[in-house]
Parts: sequence; structure tokens; C-alpha cells
Amino acid sequence: MRLRVVVAAVLAVALGVVAATASASGNRQSANKLTVWLQVDAQSGWPDVVAAANQQFQADHPGWTVDVQYQNWGDHLQKFDATLAGGNTPDVIEMGNTEMVKYMAAGAFADISSFKSTFANSDNWLAGLAKSGMYGGKVYGVPYYAGSRVVTYRTDVWKKAGISKPPTSLAQFTSDATKLAVAGKSVKGFSPVYLPGTDWYFAMSFVYDFGGSIATTHAHKWVGNLNSPKSIAGLTAFKNFWLAVSKASKTSNEANPAPYDIFSQGGAGAIVGPGWFSCCTGAKYKAVTAQFVMPSHTAGKAMPGFLGGSDLAVPAPSGNKALAADWIKDFTSTSAEKSLQAKGNIPNATSLLGTSVNERAAARSWFVPAAKHWVDVENGNILRTMLSTILGGKFTVAQAATIASNNITTTLNQP
Amino acid sequence: MASAAETTPRWSRRRGAVWRRAGRGAVPYGLLLPVVAILGAILGYPIYSLVRLSLQHYTLFELIRHKGQYIGLHNFGLVLHDPIFWHTVLRTVIFTITNVGLTIGIGTLIALLLVRVSGWVRILITSGLVLVWAMPPVVAVQVWNWMTNYQNGVLNYILTELHVGNFFHHDWYATPFSQLSMVTTLIVWEGLPFIAITVYAALSQVPGELVEAAEIDGAPAWRVFFDVTMPIIRPVLLILTSLSILWDFGVFTQAYLLIGQPAIQPGNYLMAIYLFEEGYFKNDYGRGAAISILMLAMVATLSVVLVRKMVQAGDVD
Repeated sequence: MRLRVVVAAVLAVALGVVAATASASGNRQSANKLTVWLQVDAQSGWPDVVAAANQQFQADHPGWTVDVQYQNWGDHLQKFDATLAGGNTPDVIEMGNTEMVKYMAAGAFADISSFKSTFANSDNWLAGLAKSGMYGGKVYGVPYYAGSRVVTYRTDVWKKAGISKPPTSLAQFTSDATKLAVAGKSVKGFSPVYLPGTDWYFAMSFVYDFGGSIATTHAHKWVGNLNSPKSIAGLTAFKNFWLAVSKASKTSNEANPAPYDIFSQGGAGAIVGPGWFSCCTGAKYKAVTAQFVMPSHTAGKAMPGFLGGSDLAVPAPSGNKALAADWIKDFTSTSAEKSLQAKGNIPNATSLLGTSVNERAAARSWFVPAAKHWVDVENGNILRTMLSTILGGKFTVAQAATIASNNITTTLNQP
Repeated sequence: MASAAETTPRWSRRRGAVWRRAGRGAVPYGLLLPVVAILGAILGYPIYSLVRLSLQHYTLFELIRHKGQYIGLHNFGLVLHDPIFWHTVLRTVIFTITNVGLTIGIGTLIALLLVRVSGWVRILITSGLVLVWAMPPVVAVQVWNWMTNYQNGVLNYILTELHVGNFFHHDWYATPFSQLSMVTTLIVWEGLPFIAITVYAALSQVPGELVEAAEIDGAPAWRVFFDVTMPIIRPVLLILTSLSILWDFGVFTQAYLLIGQPAIQPGNYLMAIYLFEEGYFKNDYGRGAAISILMLAMVATLSVVLVRKMVQAGDVD
């Protein structure tokens, strides 16, 4: 009997503790915490800019803390969808400019048009980037930064190969690669230019360089355009260039392994990626890292670079909209943008533009079709599959391009 | 003094006996009732929600507003008319048969080996099996990834050093077939411990004298296995096969992570991956629900068939 009483008492206490803590943690959106989702690019590239913004925000709003959670490009949208369903959305979220349209159309973001004048340099935001954050005439996303693609290379290997200056045409680059292969042959599997097989951001540059495009509109409908003669010419040029200069896996992507890791291990004479790649080329080769603009097949011109970029948005269910807008103001201030620029990014306003290699590369750029379902084309890996089948030889360029084109047409024209 | 039994009328005693029998029959159901009620609540409500979701048009737009619109069986029609669905079903069936066949086959062979070897070797093998069993799937995927890496995987290195061929920079994930083969290797590796240890336990039920008698009669080893051992361990093998089929049909984690999201495309979809892509990636939750109900129907039909067989096999004794 006594044992039963003791057991009952213990159970009662345990249940009481659980109930008490449950009600305390039931209030998920803590009253004094701002939740911010940024991509891992910020974590590895410019953590000091994030810290400075947090400090400024906390100074302006005593008693508030900022919880920055870093996300991966591959799954951050699914996580965001889960929070939209569950009610635990962040207060600020970084979105890729290609991802904005679908979410703006669905009403996922709060209208921050009234805060626009408080953001630094908002009168001369970069046109392309600003457009990606607008829907129905209202502002939902604040331009954060943009980036074109540049070539990061090893000056010591190039010197050893006897190349005095960076190439000014695609043909010259290809012939330089043969010399680079000889110069780097002490490292087994050395790539003159390490290019992942399915890096479509780079491959589509060739398509646009030859005058083709991914998709066009005809009578309010999207039509895939990769199987047009100009696009096919671009894809063929890409295939030939890739096979000549890269020893990477034909099915690999640009995130895994990170090209700068291959560079830092000495396995590449050059890599292609955003300007901020120079951050992570390793201590061993830091002194011999430099960048140049990827040349076009037309001598003297730059190959159009993918004008990637991110916007900062405030999810509609957030309970701290004004504070979120204030944090965004701190994170996109002129000094913050100048720091981002120094790290190899393109700042968000034309008044801040300089003449760095990254910004010169942006002079000729291309962008994805501004379609609501473009992000489904990306997630469905239509372009990646096309590239791996072309490089692997499973399909000819024309066959693979036709398949991809048809898939793009179907995907973009969904209701 | 007359006893209570003598004074109670006979009709009352018989009715009492009937009630007692009925009461005894009702007790098992009464004991089951709480479990059934709880399972019904935990499983029943989600399944009801799923069915309701599959009858709605529910995309990102509806998700944000927490309200869908009814479209009846339209989602099911879309799925059943989608050629990708049928290709995926076929691919998953072939994948399941291969995985289950390899797991049960190799697992049984390991169990037979465990019977033969000496004590300390048995301990070594069993410890190895338990370590494999204990490894979380995500960790196992990461280790497999490192081993079969294109750039610097140890598998390529060893095969080249052993002069099996030139495997330097060999891409083990070049085609959908090779990707799914790698997934199969991982899943069979992970499934072996359970099968091997369970069959080893079942083999202890096989009387040694029967096996000896068969061997003395001059029967070859495979005859001894199929004619003497198999019939005795059949029920256990049936259970293990059913469980393996159910697990391998719905495999998601290892396949999705090992192949990697950037390489997932309709050519290497398995049912669970197809469900995830349609439902989550493309934000068509109604369609995802329809696919999962179709999967549930397929698995449920299979389970009925298998459980029937198991019960029959048990009855034969």
C-alpha cells in the first residue's frame, strides 16, 4: 500500500513538471527574439557583416536578440513550407531571386512597401534585383546582393604554363588549358579548369552567349527554347569546352564537392563561381589566387554571367514585421553593402557599383525566365539531367535539349 | 439444510452458465479495447486527414491560407494517368525484389555460417553484425558517400591498388542503374544483421539428428538444406520476407540522401521519392496525398496476401 502511494506521488510530480514546462514553452514565438534565416554563403563568406547588423539592431532595440539560422539552398524551401503550415515562420528569410515569384504569388510574404524609404539607397536599387522582389506593384523583397560568375585561378600554375595574361576568348582559353594540364600534371586527376558536370548556372551562359535562351513566351504561354539552333550551338560549345578542360565527375554539382575545396587541395588550375569563392581557396594558395572575367566565344567580350542574387523578405505570418524591416535596414545599410562588395559580391544599388572583376563580369548577364513555376524547373533537375546526359554521351546535344525543352514547356505552363 | 446449488432452479443455472461462457469470450475483446482505441486515434485520424487531403486541391496558395478546395477524385485521376507513376511502380517492384532476394539470401548464408564456426569467430561475426545494425541510416549514408566518392573515395583507391582495374576517378553514380545499385548495396548491408541473427535463432530449432541422418544417407549439402532445414525455418523466413518487402518498398532516406537531391530525376524515382517530389517539392500536397494512398493500398494488399500465407504455414504444423 505504501509503495503504491509513493509511486502515485512520483507520477503526479512528474506529470506536474511536464505540464508546467509544456505551458512555459507553449509560446513558441518568444517575445524578445527575432528569427532570421540566411544562407550558408553568409556563414562562410561574410559572418562579420551579419554580426555588425545584429549589433546595430540590438543597440536600437534593447532587450531583443537576433537568432540567425543558416540554411542550405537544397532544402530551405521545404523547411519554409513546413513553417508556413505549422506557424513557426522566421521573421526574415533570404530567398534566391529565382525563388521569389512563386512565393509572392502565393501570398507568403508581407507587403513592406511602406518601409521602402527607410532602406538605404532604395531609390537606385539594381533594376533586375529590385524587380524580383516586386509583385502586383508592391514590394515584398529587399535586394540583398547580386553576383556574377568569375574565373578564380592560380597564378603560379599559369606562370608555370607560360601563359602571361588571362585569355580573351573561349578558343584561347581552351588552348591554354592544354598547357595548364602539362603544368599541373604532378597532381593526379588535375583539372585545368575544375567544372562540375551539372553546373547549369555556368553551362547556360554558353547558350546565351550564342544568342539562345532557356524559354520564351508566345501568346501568353511559355515555350522551351533549348532546342533552337542557337541554343544547341551554345550547348555544343559547352560540351567541347568541358571535355577539354575538366576532370570532374560528369554528374557532380556545384555545391558538392565545393569547387574551392578542390582548388585548396591543389586539384584545379582554375574554378568558376561567384566572386566570393576567393575567401576559401585555402591558406596554401591564398597568395596566388586571382580572378578574371570568363571570356566569350567572341574575342574581347565577356561571356554573359548568371546574375544570381538574393532578396530579404518578411513572411506574412510573422508577428514582428516592423522589427524585421528594421533588421533588414541594418543588414542592407551602405556600410554593410560596401563590406559585401569588398568580399567579391555586387552591392544592391547602382550608386555603390565599382569596377571590380565581379562587377565587370555583370556588364553582360543573363537571367532565368520570370515564370511562377521556374523554381519547379530547378527543383526537378531538368537542366542538370540534360547536362549529365550530354556529357556522359547517353544522348546527343539535340536529343537532350529537346527532352529538356519539352519538360520545361510542361512545367512552366502549369496553372 | 439444502445447498444453494440444489435450491437454484435449473433454467437459472443454465442461463448463468451461458453468461459465464459469454463473459469469458468477451474478456479478450475487452482487454484489446484500450489498445485498439489508442491505435485508432493515433493512426486513424492521420489517415482520415490524408484521405481528405487527397480529395482537395491543396498547393502553396492553400497552405498559407490553411484551406483547400474539394475536387473529388481528380488527384487520383491525374496520378493514374501519369506515365511517371507507372514507371516508378515498376522500378520500385524490381528494386524491392532485388533487395529482398539479396538480403534474405545472403542473410541465410551468414546464419548457416554462424552455426558452423567456432565460438570466438561467432562472437566476432555477431559483434560486427550488431555494429552494422546499430548505425543510424543517415550516418551510414554519409560513410558510404565518403567511401564511394569520385574525387577521393577509398573504394576507388583500393580497387586500383589491387589491380582490379583502373578505378581512378570512377563515378559510381553515373547512371540511374548504378545509382540504384549503390542504394541496393547500402540497404542490403543494413538489412543483413536482422535477417542473419533471426535465421540463426531459427536454425537452432532444427534437430541436429535429422541433419546428421540426411548427411549419412549421402544427401549433398543443398539437398539437406532444402529438404530438411527449410521446412522447419519456413515460417520465420516468411515473416522476414514479408517485413523486408514492406520496408524496402517504402525506402526513402538512404536512396534520397545517397543519390543526392541534385541528381534525383524521374529516371531514378522510387515510390517514396516520387511521393516526396510531387507532394513537397512541387507543393502539390493533394497529389502527394493521393500517391501515398495508392502506395498504402498496394502495401496493404501485399500484407493481406503475406499474412494469409504465414497463418497457413503456421496451421500446417
